[in-house]
Amino acid sequence: MAHQAHSYHMVDPSPWPIFGAAAALLTTSGLIMWFHYSSTTLLTMGLLSMLLVMLQWWRDVIRESTFQGHHTPTVQKGLRYGMILFITSEAFFFLGFFWAFFHSSLAPTPELGGQWPPTGVKPLNPLEVPLLNTAILLASGVTVTWTHHSITEGNRKQAIHALTLTILLGFYFTALQAMEYHEASFSIADSVYGSTFFVATGFHGLHVIIGSSFLTVCLLRLIKFHFTPNHHFGFEAAAWYWHFVDIIWLFLYMSMYWWGS
Amino acid sequence: MGTWGAAQQHGKASAPVTHRAGGGGRTWRALSLLGALPAVALCMANVMLQQRHHRPARPTFVPYHHLRIRTKPFPWGDGTHTLFHNPRTNALPSGYEQ
Repeated sequence: MAHQAHSYHMVDPSPWPIFGAAAALLTTSGLIMWFHYSSTTLLTMGLLSMLLVMLQWWRDVIRESTFQGHHTPTVQKGLRYGMILFITSEAFFFLGFFWAFFHSSLAPTPELGGQWPPTGVKPLNPLEVPLLNTAILLASGVTVTWTHHSITEGNRKQAIHALTLTILLGFYFTALQAMEYHEASFSIADSVYGSTFFVATGFHGLHVIIGSSFLTVCLLRLIKFHFTPNHHFGFEAAAWYWHFVDIIWLFLYMSMYWWGS
Repeated sequence: MGTWGAAQQHGKASAPVTHRAGGGGRTWRALSLLGALPAVALCMANVMLQQRHHRPARPTFVPYHHLRIRTKPFPWGDGTHTLFHNPRTNALPSGYEQ
């Protein structure tokens, strides 16, 4: 019987990478068909295949790790590097939108009335719902840390409670933001103010939804005994991502909601 | 797989490890339940109190050129309503709908 003489994971051949690439192609070309030719067929196919690839690829990672034991400390180290690099790339993604915001708001053009917020734009009061949203995300950062300590200490009941609380706070944030989007007196089409505000907060909201989904998967795995006090990297990755989402919100709040009002 | 057995019997964070100041499930549980969640509740109360004031009259419509930009129709509906359009607070380029 052959054994490997190293601690790395040589993954079995898998169709998900090429299918993921195909899903990306379908989605991007689908967006073009929707924007320019009013057809949603390709886009629907793209989003559906993207969802299926994600579910099956990550299901396979869980099988390889939790059930087949391929995630040695060496493999886990690689995953840690990977998640850190990914989050770093996301930070640069948001950096671009913050650059755009400061480019337009530090020197408002005459077309905007030479002021920021532009003439005719009534910004949201940063001390109402945005402040509540800040408290919600900060609180969820505390509860996710409580979750982590509970997992490390082998306290199953508290870990489940704490993670559930974290996810509920995330849902509450999303619901409040959706309501704010509907109630705002300005829209994305209202000068560069609307563009920068809704693109930056919109992508942030998408990341909150992604983070909440990641945490929900962790909750299901937690309930099904996938994690041990010493080995629970899936949860750690979700927690890192969640803290990142929180930090991006803090920058959004300070710059666009507070300084920009 | 999991080693929940021993800690499970106690029903609280009482794993027998040496106490680390500032760490531990008990500390973060306290911070969550006595700090973070009450802060959220306070902010909720603040919002509700502030929103008790009557809705301010919506601003008069002025057809500014830098607002309500429609370079290209939106790919949904009639192409002139934004995704989160609110008929009460959002005017179209031609004015309020209501």
